[in-house]
Amino acid sequence: MNEKGISLVQLRQRKTRQTAALFLAPVIILLVVFIAYPIIDTFITSGYQWNGISADKKMVGLANWAKLIKDTKFWIAFKNNVIIMILSIIIQIPLGLAMATFLDFGGKKLTIFKVIWFIPMLMSSVAIGFLFTYALATNGGIVSTISGWFGGSNIDLLGNPKLALLTVILIIAWQFTPFYMVYFMAGYTNIPYDVFEAARIDGATRGQYFWKIALPLLIPSIKSAAILSMVGSLKYFDLIYVMTGGGPGTATELMATYMYKESFKNFNMGYGSAIAGGMFILITMVSMITMKLINGKQED
Amino acid sequence: MKKRMYKIMALAMTAAMVVPMAAQTTAFAADDKEITYWNIAVESPDKDIVTAAVDKFNKETESGYTVNQVAIQNDTYKEKLVIAMSSGECPDMYSSWSGGPMYEYIDSGFAQPIDDLLDQSDVKDKLLDAAIEQGSYNGHVYAIPYLNVSLAGIFYNKDMFEKYGLEEPKTLADLENICATLKENGITPFALANASKWTGSMYFMSLAARYGGLEPFQNAVAGTGKFTDDCFIKAGEKIQEWVNNGYFPDGVNSLSEDDGQAKQLMYQETAGMLLCGSWYTGTFQTDSEEFYQKIGWFPFPAIDDSDADPTIQIGTVGDQFISFNCEGDKLAAAFECAADHLSDEVADITYSNNKIVPVKDAGDHIKDPVVKEIFDAAQEASSIQLWYDQYLPTSVASAHLDGLQEVFGLTKTPQEAQEEMQTAMDEYLSTKSDSGAADDTAEEATDDAAADDAE
Amino acid sequence: MDSYKKSRRKSIIAWVIAFVLAIGAAIVSFTPFIFMVLNSFKEKFEMLTKGVFQLPDQLNWSNYTEVLTGGFANYFKNSVIVLAVSLILLLFISACASYPLARFKFKMAQPIYAIIVACMSIPVHITLIPVFKMAKSTGLYDTIWSLIGPYVAFAVPISVFILTSFMKEIPREIEESAEIDGCGKIQMFFSMILPLSKPGMATLAIYNGVNMWNEFSFVNTLTQSAQNRTLPLAIWEFQGQYSMNTPMIMAVLTLTLLPMVIMFIIFQDKLVKGMTAGAVKG
Repeated sequence: MNEKGISLVQLRQRKTRQTAALFLAPVIILLVVFIAYPIIDTFITSGYQWNGISADKKMVGLANWAKLIKDTKFWIAFKNNVIIMILSIIIQIPLGLAMATFLDFGGKKLTIFKVIWFIPMLMSSVAIGFLFTYALATNGGIVSTISGWFGGSNIDLLGNPKLALLTVILIIAWQFTPFYMVYFMAGYTNIPYDVFEAARIDGATRGQYFWKIALPLLIPSIKSAAILSMVGSLKYFDLIYVMTGGGPGTATELMATYMYKESFKNFNMGYGSAIAGGMFILITMVSMITMKLINGKQED
Repeated sequence: MKKRMYKIMALAMTAAMVVPMAAQTTAFAADDKEITYWNIAVESPDKDIVTAAVDKFNKETESGYTVNQVAIQNDTYKEKLVIAMSSGECPDMYSSWSGGPMYEYIDSGFAQPIDDLLDQSDVKDKLLDAAIEQGSYNGHVYAIPYLNVSLAGIFYNKDMFEKYGLEEPKTLADLENICATLKENGITPFALANASKWTGSMYFMSLAARYGGLEPFQNAVAGTGKFTDDCFIKAGEKIQEWVNNGYFPDGVNSLSEDDGQAKQLMYQETAGMLLCGSWYTGTFQTDSEEFYQKIGWFPFPAIDDSDADPTIQIGTVGDQFISFNCEGDKLAAAFECAADHLSDEVADITYSNNKIVPVKDAGDHIKDPVVKEIFDAAQEASSIQLWYDQYLPTSVASAHLDGLQEVFGLTKTPQEAQEEMQTAMDEYLSTKSDSGAADDTAEEATDDAAADDAE
Repeated sequence: MDSYKKSRRKSIIAWVIAFVLAIGAAIVSFTPFIFMVLNSFKEKFEMLTKGVFQLPDQLNWSNYTEVLTGGFANYFKNSVIVLAVSLILLLFISACASYPLARFKFKMAQPIYAIIVACMSIPVHITLIPVFKMAKSTGLYDTIWSLIGPYVAFAVPISVFILTSFMKEIPREIEESAEIDGCGKIQMFFSMILPLSKPGMATLAIYNGVNMWNEFSFVNTLTQSAQNRTLPLAIWEFQGQYSMNTPMIMAVLTLTLLPMVIMFIIFQDKLVKGMTAGAVKG
């Protein structure tokens, strides 16, 4: 009796493993080919002094890594990435949640808001870069004009090392908040309608419903959104490269822009690969630790 | 049930992996008689010029080869070349700028010397000597220039000068007087968009050349001098003086050249002058023929108390150079196609777009007075120094551009910026001498690459 | 009665404030789009002299006719094919992978999940050279088919991450009751989990659809002939070495954006509350 029970459990476990393997196979193959291989290649390349094109590579061991650890520019870039990360989470997630909540309460009538709010996500970086460069121009730009109405002077946002990063962060937030809106809208669909109905019958106001019922149920979505925002911010590239190219000075330099410039513009593929490897290690570490921290309590 | 699911999964897998491969049929069409030619001529008029040359070659050649031209946008062109070269898939013929990157391609074995072909053809007599010089490296000619002779010089609004009673300056002091007059009248003296960084470098190069000539620069590159030389520091200090006087637009470091924020100031007539490469003739003209009539040009003026040769110019004698990564018959055919870029019928298209073909008799074909002035300055020049950011090794060029941008932003002193540039130069020279032994291997690699091509 | 009125008044005030904020957000979101469209109707010189934020003198349709008579139709066709194939493939295999990670209990689940999530932290640019070499050696270089592998692979980590967390939220009881009915794991996936994951899938379709539509690095690396390019490279014809024709570029970008708006309107319908509730009851 007992013996048979155990073997049945084992049989079920094995079946579970087989089915899991079947379901996971396509993704794993794809990731090995297109992601694992390049990452290994990057770590190997980081051991060479190589201009990226010549057939002649010079093995330098860990020299690139030693340089990376001492490279203030890399750490400034990392710091900038972390600032983007923190501010993106603080700005984008609450805004996205507020938008999704508004749309959830309003229902179908508000579809027009949904579509308009989503537009920034659809615009290409080229258009965003162009329009914001003109809108933020020190002389005659929109921000300076508005400042002029209130008696202020012209404001140089992108050219000022103190303000450039903050400015770009706000533009990034403008572009990506709609994603979190959509994400939380999907989160709201997971709250069964009965829960909402029951709350209403009990006489809960919408405010009470949101704080006492919806928000706790959305916590898992908010956690994943935070992780997504973190990883996205730490490997960010697009708009910064288009708008400031990392400047002025190193005020908006990011790990990804630095890596790109070293690898593809400065003929420093070996060192660029070390930056990429460093980036990979740092991002994975930060995201794994955060995941452990925020999921620690709920797991098991 | 389960079997069916397995089947579905298997199918999906196959779709992911195999369909793409089955779908491709024609990609292997490129046979040995095809020369792949990469360039950055995506937009007219450059596109028209290159297309005309390639068409001419494909129609008239007796070599049996055809050229397949691939135009790629400038911003990512270098990246695409690096990726192709790193995989050993360098195109047979590609156009690029002269200077640091070109030397890097040559050192890595992706360009063949063309001295013999050049000696046999009439191209050698046709081209300006300075043009051949900028296509050469280590005593060999590697690249054929075409497109445009571009010098750094100052474009100005003639109407505006007339209105305020100003004249083309002879000396730096004159130029500064002009700036002061314009400024008094509420006009920004210089239209500059320095988010792009290389635009500000034009001012720096011009000033440094007038303060100290070219020797300090050449010495610093060779390792016998320093980028902290007096002439560089003075150039940086003059720039900061001008920034403080308000001679540049507000927020100069956030204005974007690519987005047209410098020329916009000229068009809106809120700025009076613009120091940039002389390709701007074409830019002005395609934007507005009417506005172009208001434009005058003068080379950067001399400095009174300096004995540097004022005919030295900064610029490029060709703007685009064609390099060759093939040999034998194929190289000869590719060279023929490159020569077609300089042929009379193609040159006519170039001239009609106010560009200067880098050939000796260009003067006979130029009708536009402004372009003529530029060509004369190029002819009279005792020497033409290529843009620093193209000439220098890329890491040094980056240090120069980044540091200079901060000089414009007043967040670094000229001394600090120049020291950083020197540090980058020192670092470059030390890695070069480290790999002195590697140079031989590079030679071998060249031979290997050539052998691969022959197979 | 009194407290009811009071709460009603409070709720009206709350709605008014919410609407004012909502309209403010809509203006901020929409204004750049409007200026993109407005500038697409200008002449090049007009845009520079009058400024970017002025109304155009007249609606100058010639930019659009020039774009549409150029290579646009071909770029559009390529983009649609690549997007459709990649997106369908992506949604299917990510759903497959998320299912065991979210609902099965087996030892490797955590490590595999962690590795897939770690793959999110890969910067695109390091993969360009390996992917280029692969495309060359498989003979896929310079075909639109070379784009599908990288597009799907790059979207997989984030998709699995999102879907797994989404599937975890589906109540256990559904599965348990089905299991009692003798329903196998695979069947359960197709009949229960997949339909219940629709909102998550819609989110992914929207997010990845937009990314793939605007993707630049891979298509720049993996194609060379003009006939094999996708829409993000369509602006090249108007970007010269030293200057660009911005109104024309804005026209291209406007035309590129419109199909995505339509796609969004279709998919956002799946994000309305009540759907899942109905499905659960059924």
